[in-house]
Amino acid sequence: MMRTLRIQIARNPLMAVGVVICLIWFSISLVAHLIAPYGPLEQNMVNRLQPPSQTNLMGTDQLGRDVLTRVLYGGRISLPAGLLVIIISTVIGTLVGAVAGYAGGMWDELLMRGTEVFMAFPTIILAMAIAAALGPSVINAVIAMVLVWWPNYARIVRSLVVSVKSNDYVEAARALGASDRHILFRTILPNCLAPAIVMATLDIGNAILLFAGLSFLGLGADPSTPEWGRMVADGVSNFDQWWLSTFPGLAIFTVVMAFNFVGDGLRDLADPRVRKARG
Amino acid sequence: MSLSAYFLRRLLLAVPLVIGISLVSFIIANLVPSDPMAANLGERAAADPEIVAAFRAKWGLDEPFFVQYFTYLRNLLSGDMGTSIRTRRPVADELLRYMPATVELATAGIIVALIVGVPLGVISAVWRNRPIDFVARIISLIGVSAPVFWLALVALLLLYLRLRILPGPGRLDAVIPPPPTVTGLYTIDALIAGQWRTLGNALAHLILPAVVLGAYSAGLITRITRSAMLDVLSMEYITTARSKGLRERTVILRHGLRNALLPVVTVIGLSYGNLLTGAVLTETIFSWGGIGRFAYDSARSLDFPSIMGVSMLIALVFVLTNLIVDMLYYILDPRIRL
Amino acid sequence: MRRLYGLLVVVSLLSLLAFGGAAAQEEKVLVVGLSEDYNGLDVHRAYEPGGSLIHKAVYDTLVTFPTDSVSEILPNLAESWTISDDGLVYTFTLRDDVVFSNGDPLTAEDVVFSFNRMKNLKDNPAFLADGIASVEAPDERTVVLTLAAPDPAILAKLVFDAFSVVNAEVVRAQGGTDAENASEVDTAELWFNDNSAGTGPYMVDFYEPTVQTVLVRNPNYWGEAPYFDRIIIRNMPEAATQKLALEAGDIHIAMDITADQLPSLEGNPNISVFSTQSDTLIFLLMNQNPEIGGPVSDPKVQLAVRYALDYEGLKLLGGAGTNTPAAMVPLGFAGALDASEALPRDLDKARSLLAEAGYPDGFTVDLRYPDFTYIGTQFSLVAQKVQADLAEVGITVNLVPEELQVSLEAYRGGQHGFGLWLWNPDYYDTLDYVEFLPGGVVGKRANWTDENADATILELRDKVKVETDPEVRNQLFREIQLYEQQSGPFAPLFQPGVHFAYSAALKGFNYNGQWRVDLSLLSF
Repeated sequence: MMRTLRIQIARNPLMAVGVVICLIWFSISLVAHLIAPYGPLEQNMVNRLQPPSQTNLMGTDQLGRDVLTRVLYGGRISLPAGLLVIIISTVIGTLVGAVAGYAGGMWDELLMRGTEVFMAFPTIILAMAIAAALGPSVINAVIAMVLVWWPNYARIVRSLVVSVKSNDYVEAARALGASDRHILFRTILPNCLAPAIVMATLDIGNAILLFAGLSFLGLGADPSTPEWGRMVADGVSNFDQWWLSTFPGLAIFTVVMAFNFVGDGLRDLADPRVRKARG
Repeated sequence: MSLSAYFLRRLLLAVPLVIGISLVSFIIANLVPSDPMAANLGERAAADPEIVAAFRAKWGLDEPFFVQYFTYLRNLLSGDMGTSIRTRRPVADELLRYMPATVELATAGIIVALIVGVPLGVISAVWRNRPIDFVARIISLIGVSAPVFWLALVALLLLYLRLRILPGPGRLDAVIPPPPTVTGLYTIDALIAGQWRTLGNALAHLILPAVVLGAYSAGLITRITRSAMLDVLSMEYITTARSKGLRERTVILRHGLRNALLPVVTVIGLSYGNLLTGAVLTETIFSWGGIGRFAYDSARSLDFPSIMGVSMLIALVFVLTNLIVDMLYYILDPRIRL
Repeated sequence: MRRLYGLLVVVSLLSLLAFGGAAAQEEKVLVVGLSEDYNGLDVHRAYEPGGSLIHKAVYDTLVTFPTDSVSEILPNLAESWTISDDGLVYTFTLRDDVVFSNGDPLTAEDVVFSFNRMKNLKDNPAFLADGIASVEAPDERTVVLTLAAPDPAILAKLVFDAFSVVNAEVVRAQGGTDAENASEVDTAELWFNDNSAGTGPYMVDFYEPTVQTVLVRNPNYWGEAPYFDRIIIRNMPEAATQKLALEAGDIHIAMDITADQLPSLEGNPNISVFSTQSDTLIFLLMNQNPEIGGPVSDPKVQLAVRYALDYEGLKLLGGAGTNTPAAMVPLGFAGALDASEALPRDLDKARSLLAEAGYPDGFTVDLRYPDFTYIGTQFSLVAQKVQADLAEVGITVNLVPEELQVSLEAYRGGQHGFGLWLWNPDYYDTLDYVEFLPGGVVGKRANWTDENADATILELRDKVKVETDPEVRNQLFREIQLYEQQSGPFAPLFQPGVHFAYSAALKGFNYNGQWRVDLSLLSF
């Protein structure tokens, strides 16, 4: 086991780096309250907009809060939000795709046309409309993202189901008198899950990125909550105070890159061609 | 199936899609627990019931949901997308006005992505698992990982504010008037009018936003080109070509890349969607008067006709790019013709 | 393909060399960076401050303010006027040398058309004409304005751009009308975007929404010709962009500079900075209706909130030029309390008031506000500051940012229990602040009505509305504000500073709260 791990790291150092950075960010988020030098909401108006210094390593924001502290806390929102979007989308997408692929015919047409409608819908506009309707919040941003995200999974799972459906063991199950539900959920789906899960892992980085974009536009967390996208937005009106946007931006960047490193490695592992080439 | 019959069928399939999108956006627009009156009337006017009633009647806000929706569809068929509540100009005119800026930006973004992504992908595949592959992959991963709004800020901060080597936000310097409108794309229009200074300025203004916007697609294209090249390079005909004694460069570019381009074409098609999302953010930061900015402003002021218009337009672009991708597939890959 | 591209680059580089220098323009151009807040240039629908900048350069009003203040009424198109003893009839005599940009002379008929069109379009500014019973033109140079009730603020209202005078004949030819049903049949609105029919020093050349508005010199201007041939107003939504463009020399004036940008501008010898206090009042609303306001509808809690706020800290948020008004009349208006009379922060007092009100351990409340930035004031920052201040006396504030329009509707409908808002004067008279009293526009939004208000404030309100003697008026306003400090559903937060930066070479820069900068008086 340890040996395989070592081999994997040697083969794909990027993936190892990704895993490490991800772990670091997750740990930081878990213990932010222990390691942050100040409170994330602690204001100090006299000390506002100070450049990085020994007392505030990443400077202070418009309300005199410590940027470093807020960056450390930021992962508490972005990481779960990104994961949540992917998990919910995978579940919905899998269900819709599975039903469409298994039932076929009219149901297939109907569900897939519906899927296309949501795919063609611009995420940001949808998110803005939802935020206007329900008020900006983390949950609403997640809802908006799920609405445009699930169709990707529906498509993939549908095509997987269609190809698995014609296998002998499915015919065998049917011949044995298994119900449709049983065949779909016990026989077919388990065989489709692995690729869907790989794809979902690949998407986590993207989800975090989009979530940050929505927060940047003010469609995410409540403003006093430390959240990276929102913090970058604070820097837009203050170019002179470069530290406002640079550090939270770097946080998003490193997290997303780490997930992409991991995803890239996973793809290689799942890709027989690469394995063969490395022989 | 003949080419035209195939595309006719594809076009027909787009009709339910467009209707579906119009319905979804209409429902969302109506979910909003508010009406555009507040957004578009001043403090005092909104307190005057007579003015409010006039406003509602004028915009058909007093009709039930389905009546509003069918009126909208009927008008749409005659090419009337309604009038923007915010700007009071016809939505179709507004879309036409803002579209060229976004087309110009998105196209430049795609060009940047191709110029960077394809060579990087090829290099990465040819020297697989060498240091250069490693570097290329890191570059591509950076491209897909950097938040576009942050990249835009950092780029402006560095290249415009500190180093002053590129112009800042906007499509042209303030003192340079836009060229006479033919296409609405400043670069093309300046070329047509022979205004070289304007052209140079427009191109210079395009660089930063195009690079920022294209970064994500560049990363994606590098990744796809690399894997497609790896696929192709292991094919028999490549081995055959090599055994015939063709130069390696010819083998890779003529035989390899040509065939590897197919999946790249698909990615470009899909990237357009991403570009649009990116465009809202990029246009906001670069004061670029395009569709993204228009969509943002419209959504913020609950300008339903405009939101609907933008959604329909984007759906249409989605359908069209998919169609073009299919068409390119058809041309590039002879097997589909069978 | 590659060769073509290379050729293109070479050609454009060569042409840059060849024409770059020669293209220096002979005509004198002023470039202004502005965050565009208007959607059209029909002056009779004008309501936004950004639009005022343009309308001031293109149109004239009967009376006007000095270029650097709003303290007195000066003649403009009207060279003189008389007021009837009952204060109802204003008779204006027009200048005889005024011509429109197409050369037509100004007549009283044009004034009548303009006022009626503005009123009957029923658009945003139409409420300003509410008190006007009729406008008549007994002869070419005389305009008679009759009011329904005396209005001490009418002359100040007439300065507002929506009362600009247009060439009636030209506007009629474009589908404009002053008829009763103008709101339905008038079709001139879009024409105004690329044309104008005014008497001002400039004419609208064209307006490219969200990009720029271009004005050109009016060759027939009746006054002293302006210095610039052309004025380009570039839309630059971000203050940061405006500052960069100004520093790079791309624009000459940045209209939306924020306080936090000032320190780095002040060291720049090529740039002048102008800061002043704005007339914008940023305040907290606490709904009087217990079902909507909850705990904040309690007068003791309202007072506790006023004592709990850190006014000094809030002032820092507004930056240079920011002031703290003592009550709901901004500094700068006749009769406003002095800043030194403001309530101090007193946390102990706030806590004991809360205990008296039955909330010794505080309570939790939603603060609803529009998520936007106004003249450099980011509402979300102010809300976060309020949140932190109130936390110190045990009040837990949940921030509820809303899209501007959603928020506006709830606010105007009196549905905000605890809200953060702003008020800009509609016209330059302290009377505009009667709206914060029971039954007033803002008062009603806090559900402060004649029914639930006490007699003291109702009596003061009714007196001040009709009082014309300035001394007595100021005394009444004083009493009203002292009342507001102790009681009532509002807490004043601050009056943000307003900041401009412009090329140091530019001469003639003056600020006035109505139109901000008179562009026609600028020169190099």
